[in-house]
Amino acid sequence: MNTETTLTASPERAAKSRKTLLGYVPMVSPFYAFHPATRLILFIFLGVTPLFIFIPEMNILLLFVNLALLRWGKVDIQQLKIYMPIIFTVAIFMFTVVILAPGKDPNYTPLEVLGKTIYYQPVFFTFAAYWRLIAMLFGTILFFSTNRERELLVGLRALRLPFVASYVVGLSIRAAGMFMEDFRTIREAEQARGLDTKAMRFSDQVKLYMMYLIPLFSIALRRANEISNALFARGYTLTGRTSTGKPREDYIRSTYSYSKRDFVAIAFMIIIFVVTGLTQIFFNVFAIEHSPLNIFLRQALGIPS
Amino acid sequence: MDAAIKFKDLQWRYEHRTNFALKGINLEIIKNDFIGVVGANEHGKTTLVSAICGLIPHSYNGIYKGSVEVFGKKVFDSDALELATNVGFVFSDPEAQFTAMTVEEELAFGLENMGFEHAKIKERIDWAAETTLIQDLLDKSPYDISGGQKQRVAIACVLAMNPPIIIMDEPTSMIDPLGKNLIFDILRRLKKAGEHTLIVVEHNVEQLAPLADKMLLMYEGLVDRYLPTREFYSDSNYLQDRGVLAPESTEFVQWLISEKALPASINLPLDLAGGIETTRQALKRR
Amino acid sequence: MAKLITVDALDYVYPDGTPALFDINLEIAEEEFIAFIGQNGSGKTTLSKCLNGLLRPTQGSIIVDDLDTRQRGIIKQLVTKVGYVFQNPDHQLFNRTVWAEIAYGPNNIGLSQSEVKERVIEAAQVAGVHEDVFDTHPYFLDKGLRQRVAIASILALRPKTIIVDEPTTGQDVRQSIEVMNFLKRLRDEEGHTIIIITHEMRIVADYAERTVVLGKGRKLLDGPTREVFAQPEILKQTFVEPPQITRVGQALVEEGLPNDVLSVEEMKVAFNRK
Repeated sequence: MNTETTLTASPERAAKSRKTLLGYVPMVSPFYAFHPATRLILFIFLGVTPLFIFIPEMNILLLFVNLALLRWGKVDIQQLKIYMPIIFTVAIFMFTVVILAPGKDPNYTPLEVLGKTIYYQPVFFTFAAYWRLIAMLFGTILFFSTNRERELLVGLRALRLPFVASYVVGLSIRAAGMFMEDFRTIREAEQARGLDTKAMRFSDQVKLYMMYLIPLFSIALRRANEISNALFARGYTLTGRTSTGKPREDYIRSTYSYSKRDFVAIAFMIIIFVVTGLTQIFFNVFAIEHSPLNIFLRQALGIPS
Repeated sequence: MDAAIKFKDLQWRYEHRTNFALKGINLEIIKNDFIGVVGANEHGKTTLVSAICGLIPHSYNGIYKGSVEVFGKKVFDSDALELATNVGFVFSDPEAQFTAMTVEEELAFGLENMGFEHAKIKERIDWAAETTLIQDLLDKSPYDISGGQKQRVAIACVLAMNPPIIIMDEPTSMIDPLGKNLIFDILRRLKKAGEHTLIVVEHNVEQLAPLADKMLLMYEGLVDRYLPTREFYSDSNYLQDRGVLAPESTEFVQWLISEKALPASINLPLDLAGGIETTRQALKRR
Repeated sequence: MAKLITVDALDYVYPDGTPALFDINLEIAEEEFIAFIGQNGSGKTTLSKCLNGLLRPTQGSIIVDDLDTRQRGIIKQLVTKVGYVFQNPDHQLFNRTVWAEIAYGPNNIGLSQSEVKERVIEAAQVAGVHEDVFDTHPYFLDKGLRQRVAIASILALRPKTIIVDEPTTGQDVRQSIEVMNFLKRLRDEEGHTIIIITHEMRIVADYAERTVVLGKGRKLLDGPTREVFAQPEILKQTFVEPPQITRVGQALVEEGLPNDVLSVEEMKVAFNRK
């Protein structure tokens, strides 16, 4: 059997990491000592906390926390290169929008930059929103770089998501994976018929994506039928009913167990989360006005707060 | 002998089709027999086996006349769970039957449906994984394994539920030579254990014929021939006419008999070793 | 015969770091009928995709008709030289009608409307796609016809070389013969070079004059199919076995049978000659 696995993947990669739908996860990582539920809570924590924080410096700090966790988790930082285009595209998109269409407000302070009028407040607001988004993005990257699909599902079930719902999540991830593989093949097939996407206008590329939908849905339709047959043949009951009438065992979940460190980590996260949330809600501590950079720029540019 | 499966004049027409796919099937399959099913495409092979595992009539719409009984109970009156307990089904496309995110979960799914306890599930999974040589794959995701491996996982899922009847519909048609060999190895092991009724639809007759106790030819929606394997292949021309090939060495030895290079009483070979031996005899007689 | 493709010391490594091909040397001439065989992961498909420029060599070079596939911006020229038919027709049918499907390639390479029309009609005729279905959505055709539309859509680009990935998967004996005879006609009557990628050794024995065997990214054998099948030991390295009748002959070489028969018919002749 080893022949088959070594034939399909390079030995080095096979040794260091394994493939999931969204990339690779390391073979060994200190994260694996935690229960999937703890890891899912970490993801929710890292994803939701930035929503309370409007100070860009703090979100940048959170970003560094994420990066430190990625390193600690033995994730190959080189792999993160693939996210660079997203990070830049989002920045370009957000700032283009805010510069071209800043909206109107009598309180906005106009500034002359390179012969163009921009407004300070919406630009700084966008700056803050951008870092918040990036902090959330890295929380997501951290989750999918240290968890396989199976751990996501166990995590969801441990947090009391019903079996049917988690099975549907699993099926969707599986379907998305097949969708992406089909998508790649279709792009190749188009190239094999002389399509040069690099030489195309943007509007034509958008049209092209519409075109992909035809084969993608044809394939999905044919496959949906096969998958439902496969489920039938396994005697599926999405109601949770079993043939003996006993309650349904959750075998995969039962192979994981909680340890002390899980409780400590969860408690730690909940405390930080509650404290951050409450201080923001009641005292507005993390408001954009409290950003040192904001205060500094306003003083330098002479903008009243 | 006990009949595991009984067809009584079964007719079936798919919705939106003008012709009946099955035109009156009468058939008895004996418990623990290994049946090979052959025939040209669109002549009813898949439809026949779908009627045993209950996909017909439960998952398809159409017109159903007559009956199929599995261990004395009508398929028409059974539900998905009952059927899955009695009949395991392996499809040809390994991609489309892998619905879970890891191999182990895929195996556990059917067992959880059956209401087994944790320890029993583990025992069944370990046994099925060992029989299909997938122990190393248990915690892998579907993106990390090949088509041949996926197909073995599909077989393991069926074995784990341990149904007395196992059907495979062209299990090797989409996989590579090594994958094919491994699947036939599993079939060989199952046949040797003799605890399952096996029904295998397959184009690859060279590997199928040596294993099958009986062969069944579907032609125009009817069971055209249903005979012990050696008898079944006694007339290659007839089969060729109906779009089916015999193993090459069987075909060649038949020619040797017709050329009087061998006596008509000789046993037709069904596999490579038999083909070599029989041809050797013919060479000696020259 | 004139050379069409020259592969020189080709290495290919996938962008994620997985090495797929090592030191492949290959020459492909006009009007050949070639089979690429080997275990999955042996590099058959990767090599084919390198031949038509879908993948660019990591090391070494591929020259197709004086074009080096490493050059950028030559997709449009390359596709008129090497066509690639994917295994699953559903992956390459993305237009709303059969006509649009076949016209897609010619339109991409910038032909005039009258030329496009001429090519569509010609390609459909050669591939046996009747004009009755020109306005039909490809999704509603049966599998055999979808495959022919897929081939027609490649033929419309008039490539000298056509690569077909697994032309007989899921087909029965008669359907396989039909597809293979069609490919043979393309070679015999239209002068194309045909390359098939397949796991079916009977098909290889019956149709391919030359066979290239790949294993773990290396070329293990390359020669007339008869000579390739006469070396079962090397084939075993990539889990390929010659057809059963060939192996009967190979087991009985000492008794005087040849080690390179390719079909039952040939075996009958060999037996009678004894």
